[in-house]
Amino acid sequence: MRRPGLGAALPLALSTLGLLGLAVALSRQGAAPGRPLPWLLGVLALLLLGVLGIHSAARGEGRAARVLPAAFTLLLTVLGVEVLLRAYGVPAGLIPTPSRVLTALWEARTVLLLDTFYTFVLEALLGFLAGTVLGLALALLVVRFRFLERGALPYAALFSSVPIVALAPVVVKALGLEWPSKAVVVAITVLFPVVVNAVRGLQAAQPLHLDLLHTYAASPAQTFRNVRVPTALPFVFNALKVGSTLALISAIVAEFFGTNGHGLGFRIQIEVGRFNLAVVWAAIVLASVVGLAFFGLISVLERRFAPVSQNS
Amino acid sequence: MTAAPRRGRLAASPLLPMLAVLVVAILLYLPLMLWANVGPASRALASGADLGCPTAIACATQLRNPVLPAPGQLVQGFRSLSVPPTAPTSAPYNAVVTGGETLLGLVLATGLGLILAALLVLSRSFERATLPWLVASQTVPIVAIAPMLAVLLGQYGVQGFVPKALIAAYIAFFPVAVGMSRGLRSPDALQLDLMRTYSASPGRVFFQLRLPASLPYLFTALKVAVTAALVGSIVAEISTISFSGLGKMLAENSRASDTIALWVIMGYGAALGVALVALVGLLERVVTPWRAGR
Repeated sequence: MRRPGLGAALPLALSTLGLLGLAVALSRQGAAPGRPLPWLLGVLALLLLGVLGIHSAARGEGRAARVLPAAFTLLLTVLGVEVLLRAYGVPAGLIPTPSRVLTALWEARTVLLLDTFYTFVLEALLGFLAGTVLGLALALLVVRFRFLERGALPYAALFSSVPIVALAPVVVKALGLEWPSKAVVVAITVLFPVVVNAVRGLQAAQPLHLDLLHTYAASPAQTFRNVRVPTALPFVFNALKVGSTLALISAIVAEFFGTNGHGLGFRIQIEVGRFNLAVVWAAIVLASVVGLAFFGLISVLERRFAPVSQNS
Repeated sequence: MTAAPRRGRLAASPLLPMLAVLVVAILLYLPLMLWANVGPASRALASGADLGCPTAIACATQLRNPVLPAPGQLVQGFRSLSVPPTAPTSAPYNAVVTGGETLLGLVLATGLGLILAALLVLSRSFERATLPWLVASQTVPIVAIAPMLAVLLGQYGVQGFVPKALIAAYIAFFPVAVGMSRGLRSPDALQLDLMRTYSASPGRVFFQLRLPASLPYLFTALKVAVTAALVGSIVAEISTISFSGLGKMLAENSRASDTIALWVIMGYGAALGVALVALVGLLERVVTPWRAGR
C-alpha cells in the first residue's frame, strides 16, 4: 500500500506549471512566434517529465493512484495542445485552441444546455429506456416460446449488424422532425443488443442449479426469480453499457437528418457549416461529458445489482 | 451483440420458423402501411392535388413520397437503383465502395487496437492513464469529428478513400482494443506458471501463449468492430465531401425526400453489414480451424 508521494508530485507539478507558463507566454506575445521548433522541444521535454510523473503516480493501490494518472493525462494533453496550436499559429477555423473552446462553452452555455436537454434527456434517455423495456419484454417472450427463439431470434442477431445510420433517415422521414423520431431511432439501436444478450443470459442458467430448485419443488416463477434473473443480469448490463454509448451517438446522427432546430447534432452541423469550430468542439465536449456520465451511471447500477468477479 | 443462435439442443432447422415470422411481419406491415399513408393521401386529395387515383385508399400504395412504401414500390425502387450494377449512381456499386472503406478501416482499427491492447496489458500505468479516456472517446459523436478530420487531412493532401477509412478506424478501434486486452489476459495462472518453468522470456510468453489465446476474443471483437466501422464510413460519407458510397446516396436522397430510395439504400446497408460480419466469420474459420467444430 504505497501512496504516490513526492516522487510523483514533483515532476507532475513541474510539467503542469511549465506548460502553463509556455501557454501564458505565448498568449502575451499575441502573434505566433517565427520559429516554432524551440517551443515544440520545450513541450516535448515537459510532456516527457509529465509521463514519468504519471508513471510513478500509477504505482500503488489507493484512490489517488487510480484517479491521478487519468486526470493528469488529460490536463497535460490539453495544455500541450494549447501551446503547440499557438506556437504553430494554427487558424481557429481549422483547430481551435482548448482555451477558445472553453470560452465558447461558457458563452454559448444556455443554447448548448438546451441542446443537451433535447439530445440527451428527450432523445437518448427516453429512447434508451423504451428500447430496454421493449427488448427485455421480447427476450422474455423468446425464452418462453421455443418457436420465437428459432424464428425471431436469428433476425435480432441479423439486425444488430445493420448500420443504424442507414435507418435514421427512413425513421425521421416517416415520423417527422420533432424529437420522438430521434428517440425511436435510439430505441431501435438499443433494442437488438438487449434482446440478444438478455436471451443469452436467461439461457445461461446452470442445469445443476435448475435441477436443485426442481428438487426443492420450486415453482417456475421461483426458479425464474432466483436462478434465471441473477444469471441473466450480467449479460443485460453488458448490453446496457454498449447501448448507453450507442444511444447518444445515434441520437446525434439521427438529428443530422432533420430536427426542429434543437439538439447537439443540429448545433454541430450548423456551426461546422459556419466554420465556428470552437462551438462545435464545445458541443462535442458536452456530449462526451454527458455520455461518460451515462456510462458511469450504468456501471454503478451494475456494481450494485450484478456484481461480477474481476476476470469476467 | 452478434451471437449466433443456440444450436444443438434441437437439430431442427430454424428456416421454417424464420419464414413464418417473416410472413407474419409482412402481413402486419400491409395494414400499417395503408394506415400511415392514407392520412397524407387524403390531405393531398383534399387540397386538390391530382394524384391520378380516385380515393385515399387507392392512393395509399402509389404516393410519390410515402410515409411507408408499398411492396410494389419497393420492388420498383430496388430495380431502378440496382440496374446496371456497375453504374456510379447504382446502389450495388456504392455499397462496394463503402464496403472497401470499411474493410480498410477495420484493418487500421485492428492494428491500432492490437497495439493499445498490448500496452494496456503490459503496463498498468498506461492503463490507468488512458483507459478512462479510451472509454470517453467512444461517446464523442463521430459526425462532428468527421468533417473536421476531412478538412484537416485535406490540408496535408490526404483525400478520397483514406479519410473515410480513418474515421471508420476511429470508431472501430475501441471494441478491438477491449476484446484483445481481455484475450491477452485470458491465459490462466497454470499456463503462465508453465511458461515460467520453461524460463520463457516475456516476449515468448506474449507471442506463444498470450497472442494465440487471444484469437477467439479478437474475432468476437472484430464482429462488433466491423459493424461499427461500417457506421463510421457511412457517417464519414454523409458529413464529408464525397462522390460515392452509401452514405452519400443517403444524404442526397434525404435532401430530395425520396423515401423509397432511402428504404432501398437501407436494405443495401443492412445486406452489407450482414455480409461483412459473415466475412469476418469466414476469416475466423480459416484462422482458428481448431474452433470450427463449435
